[in-house]
Amino acid sequence: MAQCVLHRMALENAFTEEKLDAVLNIAEIYSYAPIKAALNFGFLVRRDYIVFLEKHNASIIDLRNEELDEIYINQCDISHMNAFLYLPLRKNENGELLIAAADPFDEKLITSLVIKFKCKIKLLAASDLDITWLAHKLRGGFFVKEAVFSLMKKHPESSALITFTDGQLYFIFGFIALTITCIIVFFKPTFIAINLLSSLFFLFSILFKLYLALTGSKSELHSVVSKSEIKGVNELTLPVYTILLPVYKEDKLIRKLIWNLRSLDYPKAKLDVKLLIEEDDDKTLNAVRNLDFPANFEVIVVPFHMPKTKPKACNYGLYFSRGEYLAIYDAEDVPDSDQLKKVVCQFRKLPEEFVVLQGALNYFNKNENLLTRMFTLEYSYWFDYMLSGLETLDVPIPLGGTSNHFKLATLIELGAWDPFNVTEDADLGLRVFDRGLKVGVVNSTTLEEANNEFFNWIRQRSRWIKGYMQTYLVHMRNPARLIRQVGWRGFFGFNFFIGGTSFTFLLYPILLAFFAIYMIFKFAFIRSIFPDWVLYISIFNFVAGNVLMIYVNMLAVFKRRYYELILFSILNPIYWLMHSRAAYMGLWQLITKPFYWEKTNHGLSKLSSTSAVVTPE
Amino acid sequence: MNKFIEKYINGTLALVLLVFYLLFSWILHRTGYEHPENLFIAEKIKLLFDSKDNNLVTLGTTYPTIVFLAALIFTPFGYLFSPILASIAVTVMLYYTILKDFKETSKLPDFVYIPLVSLIFFLHPGLIYSAISGRGVAAILLFFYFLFRSLFRYYRTQTTFYLSMASIYFTCLVFCDFNFIWLLLAFFPFIVLVSLEGLKINKEQAPVSQYFDSVNNSSQRRKLTNRAVAIYIILFLLPLGALLLFGYLNDTHAGTSTYFLYSQYANWHVLGDIPIGEVIGGSSKGSNAGFQSQIVFQFYVLFLNPLLFLTFFYFKGKLYEFFTLVAPFILIGILLINTQSYFMIEYYLIFLVLGFIGLTFYAGKIFTKKATWFIFFIVGLLNVFTGIYYFKKTNDDFEKKFFSALRDYKNWLKVKNNSEDYMVAQYVSSIADINNKVLMDDAAAFQIVAHLKSLDGIELPINKSFGTVIENPIVGVKFMCVAKFSNRLKNYTVLNSYNLDMMEAKGQFITEMVYQTDNWVVYRIYPLEE
Repeated sequence: MAQCVLHRMALENAFTEEKLDAVLNIAEIYSYAPIKAALNFGFLVRRDYIVFLEKHNASIIDLRNEELDEIYINQCDISHMNAFLYLPLRKNENGELLIAAADPFDEKLITSLVIKFKCKIKLLAASDLDITWLAHKLRGGFFVKEAVFSLMKKHPESSALITFTDGQLYFIFGFIALTITCIIVFFKPTFIAINLLSSLFFLFSILFKLYLALTGSKSELHSVVSKSEIKGVNELTLPVYTILLPVYKEDKLIRKLIWNLRSLDYPKAKLDVKLLIEEDDDKTLNAVRNLDFPANFEVIVVPFHMPKTKPKACNYGLYFSRGEYLAIYDAEDVPDSDQLKKVVCQFRKLPEEFVVLQGALNYFNKNENLLTRMFTLEYSYWFDYMLSGLETLDVPIPLGGTSNHFKLATLIELGAWDPFNVTEDADLGLRVFDRGLKVGVVNSTTLEEANNEFFNWIRQRSRWIKGYMQTYLVHMRNPARLIRQVGWRGFFGFNFFIGGTSFTFLLYPILLAFFAIYMIFKFAFIRSIFPDWVLYISIFNFVAGNVLMIYVNMLAVFKRRYYELILFSILNPIYWLMHSRAAYMGLWQLITKPFYWEKTNHGLSKLSSTSAVVTPE
Repeated sequence: MNKFIEKYINGTLALVLLVFYLLFSWILHRTGYEHPENLFIAEKIKLLFDSKDNNLVTLGTTYPTIVFLAALIFTPFGYLFSPILASIAVTVMLYYTILKDFKETSKLPDFVYIPLVSLIFFLHPGLIYSAISGRGVAAILLFFYFLFRSLFRYYRTQTTFYLSMASIYFTCLVFCDFNFIWLLLAFFPFIVLVSLEGLKINKEQAPVSQYFDSVNNSSQRRKLTNRAVAIYIILFLLPLGALLLFGYLNDTHAGTSTYFLYSQYANWHVLGDIPIGEVIGGSSKGSNAGFQSQIVFQFYVLFLNPLLFLTFFYFKGKLYEFFTLVAPFILIGILLINTQSYFMIEYYLIFLVLGFIGLTFYAGKIFTKKATWFIFFIVGLLNVFTGIYYFKKTNDDFEKKFFSALRDYKNWLKVKNNSEDYMVAQYVSSIADINNKVLMDDAAAFQIVAHLKSLDGIELPINKSFGTVIENPIVGVKFMCVAKFSNRLKNYTVLNSYNLDMMEAKGQFITEMVYQTDNWVVYRIYPLEE
């Protein structure tokens, strides 16, 4: 039997036989080098390993400063290098091919490399992370290009590379020209029409949300997967589950991340966790390098390519994923421990057409400040009620940023995420519907860190709203086709939920200003422009809309038993004004720099996720 | 076949009930019976569609809003008939819902609950009255039923959905009758008790001990308070928000935020509610008013509703659910403190509906099938008799008139009577045209306006010119319709005999009486120089 460094460690009692068996088993399943399995599945601490190598005269080389002969690297496949952790460097004066390898004692690797290069080889010990970094940097070009352009090539109509089509530009400018003409020619009737239409739209979109919330709240009555079903799952039958963790400069969160992953109730060997690190993100890479306990994820380095977005990283990660199912989490996420098992059970029970399940998101730092409280209110109604409502009504569901669980094969067929869309998740959810497939909702919560800093929140929200606008524009390029694909109900749901959300935020300050001018300052000129019935209707719409929105917020936190937050719902109009600020920022960016990814800083919370307990009713 | 019957029996029975009510409404209409609330709503609909001015005030301030809007749906069948059709439809909907709930929720066999519910809906005079009087009683009963049903469903499932539905129904109920807003206080005991459900305390103990435990532990006390406040807010935010908004719109468009409550142009109850002093000191022969005092009223209600009494029996040991059933009694207790008016039938019938709700949830768990059938039949029959008893003893004139019209079955098809208001309206219609306008004030004369063929040639307060015309009638109208001293509503209108004397005293015109009835008189007016 071929030996490797782990066998040596076992001989010297630096590694147990049980662990060795488990590692070899995993290496077999994934076709990985044993050392990769040991380092990425929580069996071995990197530092201990390096110490062991150095003790055995295999000191680690500084790979990044080694001289490289690209002829040899170009002969290698990135997937193979990634799986077996090696990187050919150059030939030495003895004619030996020097190859950096994470395990210089791996006999199986040596044999395969001799066959491959048909020459003598010499393995030099190198850090697995450096090998990964350099291998992806040098040989990941093809995959990263695919990650960026694959959707555009396969389904150009679904790509947000072009923000406005010619038809959309004609329509927008035509509409603006028509409105200006009407204002000049029919000043009063035009203003009346604008006032009525906008206030009616405002009320209707909030009534729609209330309707969704009520429909969604019915879902509390049903549980697709029971606790006993989860308990009764035979772990041997569970498939490999890939988890993608796209990060950028999240060095402070790495420790937290490992603890969160450890709490997942899923067989360790079947968790294919990929930490997607950008090529220029040394901070995070070094944080992984310096860990003093075993990591349970594999690092994938995403080579540099514009646009530098999360969807591009995820698309790149797909090429190395091995699971039957795939989930996305953010670095700071704390999913319910049984979430993956629940998803597997639910997928098994649902019809084949369900290809994505969205988990509920909520916050562990909800009581940190006013902003986090308001954010919690919003997320509670959005994930607990809105999405369930959309699912019940069979209306396209925009996926949330994390806790989406996919059938991997279908995800690839769909073209995965659009790297040019800054809310690629929402867009993907709609694309699923567009192809006649379904998105479901799983009754399991992932706790995240709520944005607790005002400007950070505005930046994050502006990206989301810009992404919704992008998604709306992409899917409304051909409304007739969209109706054919998702039906009238889906079409209206899409317009009011995706288009309506952004538009409502843009409209809100205007309606509020109108209300303030009329009601508070009682400016008489308003009465000279608008007849009484218009004022009646618009005031009714505006006030009723606000009250209902406050009410919808209250319902969701009531369900979660966050009773102390209920009165904060009254501040919803102020929260909406913040949305409006972000919406205008998003609109401006949509025009000036559509693919720009407003980075949200994580790890700002002073509260720990471990103190949070989710207690849904 | 059996399955077919089982599937469609409720719908078929509801259709039969609909025809039954329609038939009765036609018969009563022939006897000349008309309820003023029905005419009030009909008049507002007429103003909304036929008047050229201030339609927004009519649409936006008429109260009870739900009753008005429900009647609007049936406008194609005629202004006068639309409120009646609305109340019939709503009562039939209530009947159908109760049958459906019995089928889905209770453990009773079909042959027990169908006869019970049908017996009461077909024969209880109160429910017949609520259906064919055209009043808002039916809407009150329906939303009252929905509200309490949602609360009980909430107890069973502990899901927010039913609590929010309860809040929506509560809003509708308040827009059927403002007095129900006081459920805000009446619900307090059960909300505190139901809040115990969410706490981690020993549920095996008696509720009183649980309550003791929760208030004597600071953490539990905080949770109890938070949960109770949360339930309160969820339940009451919508009705209170809706009332605030409605008041706000009243303020901006009618000048005062309480216009819908206290203006005789917006709310029939301003005219129709009878002050209790008037009932007791007046010539009324009824004795129901005598029972309208604290404690006594509650017992009287129980006497009138044996069904509710039976329901209480099923709620033994279910403390907060029992308190929910008791909440309307507390409501009445609160209303008795403040209300100076005689309680009309809606405040009795809600207890009948309450009995049905209780039974749909728990009936069938105690007795054997045979005993249940027997007990339910007897109780149903008793309820019909107590309903008859109520009408015999009522102090409300229109309830009395209804009951005597109902009893006088020998004359149902013989004579067709026309009401006084109808007669006056016929006369006014015959003289009014664009050149011979008639000045009327629908604050008191709404019943006449409702009967008018057209509003052409009628000068009403809703018209923008009314202010000028009332100051100097001779410039705008040829006739005036004035309330006599004998008219009960004379104090609600500017066009009464006293004001007419004042106008004449100003020396602007002279009058000639051209038509009169017991309560109304029509004058032709002439300039002084003629």
